[in-house]
Amino acid sequence: MDTIIKGAVIYVFLLLIFRISGKRTMYDATVFDFVLLLIIAETTQQALLGDDFSLTNGLLLIMTLIILDIIISLLKQKFNPIEKLVDGSPLIIMDKGQLLRDRMRKERIDEADIMESARDLHGLQRLDQIKYAILEKNGKITIIPQEEAS
Amino acid sequence: MKKHNGELEIDEDLEMDHRTWTVQRISWVVLLLIVIAALLGFTGRGGVKGINKTTKKTASQTMEVEYDRFLRDEVEGEMKISLQNLKTTSPSLFFSKEFYDKVRVEEIVPEPEHVEISQDGITYTFRATKPEFIILFYTKPLHIGSLQVVAKGPDNETVTISQFVYP
Repeated sequence: MDTIIKGAVIYVFLLLIFRISGKRTMYDATVFDFVLLLIIAETTQQALLGDDFSLTNGLLLIMTLIILDIIISLLKQKFNPIEKLVDGSPLIIMDKGQLLRDRMRKERIDEADIMESARDLHGLQRLDQIKYAILEKNGKITIIPQEEAS
Repeated sequence: MKKHNGELEIDEDLEMDHRTWTVQRISWVVLLLIVIAALLGFTGRGGVKGINKTTKKTASQTMEVEYDRFLRDEVEGEMKISLQNLKTTSPSLFFSKEFYDKVRVEEIVPEPEHVEISQDGITYTFRATKPEFIILFYTKPLHIGSLQVVAKGPDNETVTISQFVYP
């Protein structure tokens, strides 16, 4: 019983904490984020298992997490507001070549982040080659180039 | 799906985003406050003296109990009992029922000569060679929430130990 409750609490806590930290926190795997991810994974594992390393405990925990994930995905599918609450929604951060700086500031994104995605996805060289930049739900920036540049 | 500028199909929800940004910023402050509270000792294990580590004495000052006010579930904690002006060489310490119900004693230094459990509580009897005597209890809480134990020293004076156990 303890394992199931612990699993549920940690699942909901991680869901909340990553939602609170913002879309960009866990997307970019810079060295710093990688270290953060490793520490969080290790801490979570210890909090979940405690000193019970039995197979029963491990299997119960995996089942609990999978069931919770299924429940959340079913709820998201059935109720759109829940999906938006859990995952957020995409956000335009560059509109027809114009940077929407207020939105970028709120999401802690700068021009360098947009250019990184522009180079990575389309091999673009300049900001004026971008028509739309969108911050997706998973924290990734997608780029739609200007027509003449594509 | 909505069309932005009549061409970009996107399910944007600015109202929701504004609300999320507000909640996020409030939450960051709350997280920071929790971490500061933890550094001060409000979540147990160390911190500033007086917040977590507490000392209580009996009216005649012959027994002093030093303990952690905040504990964590199944994490070992230390309780130090100092007895002074002992009139007997076999002092007894009594703890109310909660001590054996909600706590597991891992180790007692020095070990008691005799232990007796009753409906009301548990009594430890030690062998003391000096009028000043220190006993250390290493314990693990087994229940989450408030924990109140009454300790009675050799002079029959009591001290109430109030602790909180975090999950």
